[in-house]
Amino acid sequence: MTEAVFRETAAEPRTQAVPLSHLSLELGHLYMEDFEAGPEHLRRHFERVRPWAEAARAGAGGAGRRARISTCFLIDDYFTRFASPAEVVPMLLEEAARAGLAVDYLARESGCAVAGKTPVAEAVAGRIVEEPPPGSYGLRPPVTQTGWLANGERSPVARAPQAMKKATAWQPPKETAARRHSVFLDVELWDDGPDGHRTWSCPFLAAVWQLARLGLLRDDGEAVLVPQPHTGDSFPDDWDELPPLLRLNPRADPFAAYRTCSVIPSRFLPVEHAVRVILDQIEVDPGALAQTAERSAREDTAVPDSVADRVSYVFYAGQ
Amino acid sequence: MTPGQESGSGETRPPVVLACGEVRTCLLPALQALDSRAAAQLLGLRADERVLLSERPNLYGRSPDTLTGVDCPLPSANGARIRAVGTVAARAALTEGRVLQSSAYFRVPAAGPDHRRPWGHYLVRPGTVEPFGKLPYEAVAQGLLNGGRHGELDVGLIADGLLTRLLRHPLLDQRPPLKSRPTRLRWVALPAEHGEGPSIERFTLAEDELRTVRLRVPAGTPAGDIAGLCDDLALHDWLLTTVVRILDGIRLGAAEPPARTRPRAGEDRPAVVAALRPAVDHLLHLWMPRARVAHGLAPLWEALEDRPGFTRQWRTLVQRIRDQLALHAIPHREAS
Repeated sequence: MTEAVFRETAAEPRTQAVPLSHLSLELGHLYMEDFEAGPEHLRRHFERVRPWAEAARAGAGGAGRRARISTCFLIDDYFTRFASPAEVVPMLLEEAARAGLAVDYLARESGCAVAGKTPVAEAVAGRIVEEPPPGSYGLRPPVTQTGWLANGERSPVARAPQAMKKATAWQPPKETAARRHSVFLDVELWDDGPDGHRTWSCPFLAAVWQLARLGLLRDDGEAVLVPQPHTGDSFPDDWDELPPLLRLNPRADPFAAYRTCSVIPSRFLPVEHAVRVILDQIEVDPGALAQTAERSAREDTAVPDSVADRVSYVFYAGQ
Repeated sequence: MTPGQESGSGETRPPVVLACGEVRTCLLPALQALDSRAAAQLLGLRADERVLLSERPNLYGRSPDTLTGVDCPLPSANGARIRAVGTVAARAALTEGRVLQSSAYFRVPAAGPDHRRPWGHYLVRPGTVEPFGKLPYEAVAQGLLNGGRHGELDVGLIADGLLTRLLRHPLLDQRPPLKSRPTRLRWVALPAEHGEGPSIERFTLAEDELRTVRLRVPAGTPAGDIAGLCDDLALHDWLLTTVVRILDGIRLGAAEPPARTRPRAGEDRPAVVAALRPAVDHLLHLWMPRARVAHGLAPLWEALEDRPGFTRQWRTLVQRIRDQLALHAIPHREAS
């Protein structure tokens, strides 16, 4: 077939490619309470992370080649604003270094809601394709609850019993992918304040964070949450002045990767279960997906088909 | 993660043996045709994916694909019950800011596992519905064309859902410039014999507004391309249907109402002109077969041009409209 002579760029889809590592290794999340617990708390955290980080590195290498691994760290500046980058970041980096760990990339959680001018969370919410329960033949799922996402069918709503009629017996909810018995989970994705302001839930932003680390987020085909280099030695006094994603190590491997691994305390287990339920129902940009598949095949690196399966964790005991 | 869950380049997927879809075509319910910017607003189904806009050879906009999850039996002509799970893709298109179409489609591989997989597996295969076990594709193709029973996969419902959503858009003033009826076109595509090109096996004008098309396409033809061809067929079939109806609805050559002695300016437009004018204003420039049909499928139009001769009929209709308008432009000297 001959190449078309006439082309219109607005009529053709395009997807920007992003560089990819083999593994994106997350060294932790920082919330206000962690910061308030002082540097010793962070020190203990990094000491626990270290052996697992080394194990993840060892496991990521393939076929005798050097594996590209980048490390990242997420700071919550979305739910609570505390201290300032000038206070928090140097302490964080110092405690990581003390444990022999280097943070390549630093991200702000609010960047997962809106990065620059891109409403990332809203765009991802628009890509939710709900898992159909058996019997779905094309009608929109009637049980859709705005702002919630489940891994199965919810219990039918109990109607108020009418006079002379017995109340309907309780029906259990049902996990669609259950193996005989259900582990039903219903995740709140956001809530709207009285002023109409939408607050995204922690699991939803964490799902966006995973998609960013997997290099699967695009806005009109353009990459979003592109790392900005860190210039100078100091950090600003206001979180808003810190780029949503900062490259601290100029020689770091690419931020995004074929797979992710997060080393976090076990209190995050429920959140990360919810992340999996969300990731399993998001249709990511097909162009980005194809780029990952094509490049991993060229590198002879196996990448799981399903996006949720590209994500892994180490949960260590404790807070 | 066990190696079995991963698909490297080693896994061979069963070939696609069936594609199916349904197209809804209707006049945009707005007095004025939408310009490109408004079209992009109407068709912007997603915040992060742009509407494809094209200006050559005519104005055309197409929304990104959206997915609907399904898990239900496929219709089949021989009553076999084949459960299938996956996603149906749907998109909308607007031609010259005037004709709105919604199109839902999916493809089915020759075989699938006999159990449902995690949902993420289906989401990385958008627009694919996987059967449990082996697919009796001839029987299913016929079943899909005939329309299934309640509870079986209904791709028309998905096209309808998208169209309904778009028709409620605040950009539309709900004042269409002419009367018309929406049409439905349902299509299936089966693999062509090895080495054969694409062909239309049957194009049927079924009950009222339903058309069915049965195609053969070479292996590997993208379902989106086939849907694009069928959108194009549906658009032109709708144009023919609509213009035929307009001409049907007026009594050509009927005696003019008794001439008033002194008709006031502007009020003497005969009914024929009033009926034909919207067709001239809004429809006659839309005829452009194959404007965006994939290169490999374009020859299929030739079969329809040969018999029944879509463009031949269109030209005749257009000529009739022009003749009528020309006749009415001649002052009725005889009467005066």
